Amino acid sequence: MNKFNYFKPSTLTEASEILRKYGENAHILNGGTDLVVRIREDLLNPEAVVDIKGIEELHHINYNEKEGLTVGACVSLSDMAHNEAVVKHFPVIADSAEVVGSGQIRNLATMVGNNCNASPLADTATPLLALDANLLVYSPEGNKKISIHDFFVGVRKTSLKTGEIVIAIRVPSYTSMKGVFKKASRRKDVDLSTVCTTVVRINNDEIRIALGAVAPTPIRAKKAEGFAKGKDLTDEVVHQIAKLAVEDATPIDDVRGSKEYRLHMVEVLVRRSLEELRY
Amino acid sequence: MVKYVGKSITRVDGTKKVTGDLKYVDDIKMPGMLYAAVKRSIYPHAKIIKIDTSKADALTGVKAVTTGKDFPKRVGLYLADKTFMAVDKVRYCGEAVAAVAAVTEEIAREAVKLIEVEYEELPVVENVLDAMKEDSPLVHPDLGDYKHIPIFHTMPGTNISEHFKLRKGDVDKAFEDSDLVFESDFYVPHIQHCPIENHVAIAQIDREGIITVWASCQSPYAVRAALTDAFEVPAHKLRVISPSVGGGFGAKAGTTLEGIIIPLAMKTKGKPVKLTYSREDEFNNSYVRQAMHSKFKTGVMKDGRIIAVKNQFAWDGGAYTEYGVNIAKSAGFGAVGPYDVANIHCDSYAVYTNNPVGGPYRGFGMSEIHFGIEQNMDYIAEKLGIDPIELRRINAQKPGGRTATNAVVDDACGLLECMDKVIKDIDYYTPSEQPKEPYKVRAKGFACGMKAPSMPNNAASSALIRINEDGTAYLSVSAQDIGQGSDTALIQIAAEILSIPPEKFTINTGDTAHNPYEWQTVASRITYSVGNAIIKACEDIKQQLVQLASIKLGIFPRDLKLEDECIMSTIYPDKKIPIKELALGLNMPDGSGVHGPIMGRGIFVPENIRNFDMNTGLADNPVVFWTYGCYGVELEVDMETGNIRILQVASCFDVGKAINPDLVKAQSEGAIVQGIGSALFEEIIMKNGKFMNPSFMDYKIPTSNDMPEMKVSFVENPQKDGPFGARGMAEPAMIPAAPAIVSAFYNATGVKINELPLTPERVIKALKGKNN
Repeated sequence: MNKFNYFKPSTLTEASEILRKYGENAHILNGGTDLVVRIREDLLNPEAVVDIKGIEELHHINYNEKEGLTVGACVSLSDMAHNEAVVKHFPVIADSAEVVGSGQIRNLATMVGNNCNASPLADTATPLLALDANLLVYSPEGNKKISIHDFFVGVRKTSLKTGEIVIAIRVPSYTSMKGVFKKASRRKDVDLSTVCTTVVRINNDEIRIALGAVAPTPIRAKKAEGFAKGKDLTDEVVHQIAKLAVEDATPIDDVRGSKEYRLHMVEVLVRRSLEELRY
Repeated sequence: MVKYVGKSITRVDGTKKVTGDLKYVDDIKMPGMLYAAVKRSIYPHAKIIKIDTSKADALTGVKAVTTGKDFPKRVGLYLADKTFMAVDKVRYCGEAVAAVAAVTEEIAREAVKLIEVEYEELPVVENVLDAMKEDSPLVHPDLGDYKHIPIFHTMPGTNISEHFKLRKGDVDKAFEDSDLVFESDFYVPHIQHCPIENHVAIAQIDREGIITVWASCQSPYAVRAALTDAFEVPAHKLRVISPSVGGGFGAKAGTTLEGIIIPLAMKTKGKPVKLTYSREDEFNNSYVRQAMHSKFKTGVMKDGRIIAVKNQFAWDGGAYTEYGVNIAKSAGFGAVGPYDVANIHCDSYAVYTNNPVGGPYRGFGMSEIHFGIEQNMDYIAEKLGIDPIELRRINAQKPGGRTATNAVVDDACGLLECMDKVIKDIDYYTPSEQPKEPYKVRAKGFACGMKAPSMPNNAASSALIRINEDGTAYLSVSAQDIGQGSDTALIQIAAEILSIPPEKFTINTGDTAHNPYEWQTVASRITYSVGNAIIKACEDIKQQLVQLASIKLGIFPRDLKLEDECIMSTIYPDKKIPIKELALGLNMPDGSGVHGPIMGRGIFVPENIRNFDMNTGLADNPVVFWTYGCYGVELEVDMETGNIRILQVASCFDVGKAINPDLVKAQSEGAIVQGIGSALFEEIIMKNGKFMNPSFMDYKIPTSNDMPEMKVSFVENPQKDGPFGARGMAEPAMIPAAPAIVSAFYNATGVKINELPLTPERVIKALKGKNN
């Protein structure tokens, strides 16, 4: 591993200053489960590594009906997945967090990190997309909110600017929401998604479908959603939605799966999710 | 009455492994230690035009730099085709071209980046079938000049480094006589062993020129032989220490990174130089299991008798086949698996390509050939309308029958017994209960397998036992406990004969300066071969004790026996003397001593194991034994996602005698899990000569959640020359795994898959192919 300067600031202001000072040569260290691997493999070579785990306010997780669920940047995936409010109100988020990496990874990794990493196959990105989550961001010019829909720009690229730090992810509360997360992988556990999907049903009327690992960023299957709006989930409708979901997917071939297999799996996973949502 | 053999005593190395007290090579830290890093080829096949190490030499902290030119002598276990670092050209992507020793790992790696290598790319030999074509570029144009053991048949001017021919009976005539003739072909990809401990070695040279190598290796004496040959140093000046090994499976059977650090140690006199492989190195730069294409033409009679087999095995040996040639040979003499076939025409080829170096892997070719052999049995059974188990019973090798090489099948062949046991344990004839999800299907499958140790006819073992003055003992051997439990089983054998309880033994292994010769810890031969040497060492001790006790007790030797740590009269049980009182010899009434310390010496080499005929491959006694057994598998296929879950596996092997039944079961369970990995997940993906998935991110092995329910058993038809009747079982126990899984998959889906692994994607593709 190459040399770098390690900083562990205790305030966002301080952290942001270091990030701005080093610019492109700085990288935030949160759980470290992606960053450390990438440094070790020489894919990243930062001059400064800014550990944000010393910033107390990033470690909170809260839920209230008005604001919804707020998951601080440094809350580990395991803590989040076992949080009472998450299990009760957003089981679909807990389910997606429970299949990221291994137990050891989940004890370190965070949902904010999983999303800031901006991998097309981030497991926790699909429920956030489906639930219209927002990212609460510290910015030197004043805190701001970025919609998850504006956050992913490309493979490993987000809309964050130099010096900006995600404080938390906020998921709005829903009065009637059911969701299903599904993941296709080569092995049952400790594997990356070949494809992952989240399908949610809101107020028995609206269907939202988010897909991972089938485009440069996690995406929503808008065509299928438009078709599903207001329809009863009959067998025929379920099949049609699943087929339409494939149309928004533009996957690539790689060692984890071919384009054809990924498209096939989008249809299977979306269909199975919808079948579960009927009941 | 046996007291210790056949009992499941607790592993003697258990506590130190569980607590972490056991130190592995990478745990060794020494004053002044240097760290090595290796410059590796970025091309699969290229001429080395120039290597400029000047910038690396100049880097502060760098103590030595070496390239292949420093030691260009070719070496190898069976065929001397490799140098430890590339000399004139590189033959696979990742081959070592230069190495650096520096005061820290970071500096060593930085220095490696500064080494500039100029290459001229050569056409890449990517595929074994292309490599065998006449117009293929040659990976080793000088093959004709390489030294090799005369039992191998190299083909200079081609990429074929071994052609093993088996010619039995008259296949052409037998095909004419057959009622039906079937043809089929199969492919198994490259896979890797994935031991939990990566390769690691340290080398140090003192001022007298004595080289000490600490290595995580299976066979210290084989490492010594390779290194003394390559570096032209006398054996007594090269000491190999292997304090402990965290898994081998064949990957640590040969000599690899040790040869890279010795030249560095020679240049940094006195300072130890350590090289630790990363997991990526382990995948790409240790050994891989060779990929293999097999083709079968089978002639059968309507009653199910197989009368002719013509087959070909094409092994992708990779860049060097110093070890791989013997895998090809083993496949050739295994030829048709555990079946008795009168007419066989088998060609098995070891072939050079520009892929990673192929080497020994648990099963030594047998898992690969049985993948085809056993699927072929299912296929033939279906075509003939005969139950696949019945077809196997009809053709099985049975006592008095013939093996592929025309040797008489030993009376101890218990294949049919194993089959009965597995059929019962898996309840083969009761159809699987189907799950409630309509898209999931369950079914059962079955496969047989067999294996013999593949080793030189004179592969030898030795053992030394020293009795301490308190009646405890040291057992010194060079068998390596690589996880299989040999330390425990070998102590049990010595304990049994000497009547000294196992807890009174300490076993010493892994040091060529202090422990006696052992050919290699491979081939599932240790319990058999070292066990026999230990028995002889014990007999030696017993004879000395009886002689001394005879003097002391005034009883004729024939009336004395060894029991409960005493030499006692067989007639008057109260007349006895404890071993410990004789440990340093006998004290006479006048105070004088007789004989001196008790030490036992045991040596063993198998008797009358003879070469194969070079033209026909036939042989009447070519191997020490065949181990037979079988698997039954039940699995569940998700017909929409292609994911497979193995629900239960039953396995049974004829082990001769289980010295420690729990260890036999543990080996069987490990074999099942490794077999599942090879069948469902494991595959090295090569693209343009590059290894695309050299990490656990994209090379998957089973996790604890993939474990099936396992019903492991064994039968015991004693091996005539085995210690207490034992024969090897650790490798055979994996062989039927993949074909049994594929058989169950076929029974579930009606779809044949003739290549591994059964990834969800491959499954879906096959299922869609069926529907179209």
